[in-house]
Amino acid sequence: MFILLASLFAGAQSPDDDKPVPILSGSVGTFSFVTGGNNVIDTQVNPVLLVPIADHWLFESRAEFEGEFQRPPSGGPYGGPVNKHVDYAQLDYIANQYLTVTAGRFLTPFGIFNERLYPVWIRSLQPDPLILPINTAPSDGAMFRGGFPVSGNANVNYALYFSATSIGIDSVDSERHVGGRMGFFFPGPRLELGGSWQRALQDTRKNAYGFHMGWQPAKAPLNLRAEFARSYEGSGYWVEGAYRLNQVHSLQKAMRRTEVVTRMQQFVVGPIGPDGEDAFDLPSVNMQEADFGVNYFFRDGMKGIFSYGRQFSSAGDFNQWSFGVAFRFLQPLGRVGVPAEGQ
Amino acid sequence: MRYRVHLPAFLISLSLLAFVSSLFAGTHGATKDESPAPVIQNADANSMRIEGEKRYHANCGRCHAAPQKFPPRMMATVLRHMRVRATVTADDQKLILFYMTQ
Repeated sequence: MFILLASLFAGAQSPDDDKPVPILSGSVGTFSFVTGGNNVIDTQVNPVLLVPIADHWLFESRAEFEGEFQRPPSGGPYGGPVNKHVDYAQLDYIANQYLTVTAGRFLTPFGIFNERLYPVWIRSLQPDPLILPINTAPSDGAMFRGGFPVSGNANVNYALYFSATSIGIDSVDSERHVGGRMGFFFPGPRLELGGSWQRALQDTRKNAYGFHMGWQPAKAPLNLRAEFARSYEGSGYWVEGAYRLNQVHSLQKAMRRTEVVTRMQQFVVGPIGPDGEDAFDLPSVNMQEADFGVNYFFRDGMKGIFSYGRQFSSAGDFNQWSFGVAFRFLQPLGRVGVPAEGQ
Repeated sequence: MRYRVHLPAFLISLSLLAFVSSLFAGTHGATKDESPAPVIQNADANSMRIEGEKRYHANCGRCHAAPQKFPPRMMATVLRHMRVRATVTADDQKLILFYMTQ
């Protein structure tokens, strides 16, 4: 239905060369995750629909179709459920340079991974960070956000939101909460620092908070990111570094396409208890994990991935292997005119 | 107790809030966000391109590898999406669009 609407809208648009056109984008990935000897084949398609409306509006939506297939303990072919849900379906109004108003279902802006780093073609390591489920349930409600310069050297960005349980989109349980995130981005050193806060308005009515950072030094193809979260469900952090091998002189063509990644992370269970942790898809015991990975970029938006990690916990220590392919697609739903130079 | 929103009233309230906000925004509301019009007074296209490239690397690299260029109408949509998703500033949006469509 979204695509039909977008196509109708595209047909009604004027052919101006700079007029935004509806786009069907998204990512496709297929991965093999082997944890403690148990292989799960994870295949997912995440279509993203972007429909610009007039000069200040944008409708955007992302759905997830994810199949998790594994061989039954008794043997036989791989099989398993295919989950599907709407990650977000939101209408944005860019009111001015300071404020954008969003309504609908949106990704909860707690930390940066959930909103910005989640897509399989973006993330540096395919296994989720242990703390990802903390306070990142989808929000059904409204959000006010924006980013603007506060000086020549710094931009500030913010998001304030509330979620009201349900506005009629099913398949994912949202919850009642209010929260906010604020960050500073320093374009010179390419450093980003920020913090998040959220208060549940149901059940425990607890506060949660988190911090995030990102740094991409201009002089090296390095990408450092970290997040910390503390909540009733648990606490933890992850620190990740990704280095593109541009500066290696031998085998330059291959090295320029290769990225090595490492991530350290830790999770400490909260007072919610093991059953509660399971319900939130969090580890039910304290856990540490170290991961190392290699990404090879075949071309823009397409990469092969490999990673090895080891989990340490009182429940046992496990190896975790992953390999697969991730791909991003971008398809206009209307006439796009002349391509830019340099493609 | 679970709370349910009355959807029509909720959307009308939001629309009103957005409308009032655009009134306070002054002349910003009257201009096209994606228009690659000059944001640096008296700057020529070359300096805008250089500044756009700088901001492109600084902003896009915060989350992902710098993407290739796409046709202008697609770039306008992608950058409106990034304006919301990555809280890219209005000036950065315009300069990056200018760079990516030249």
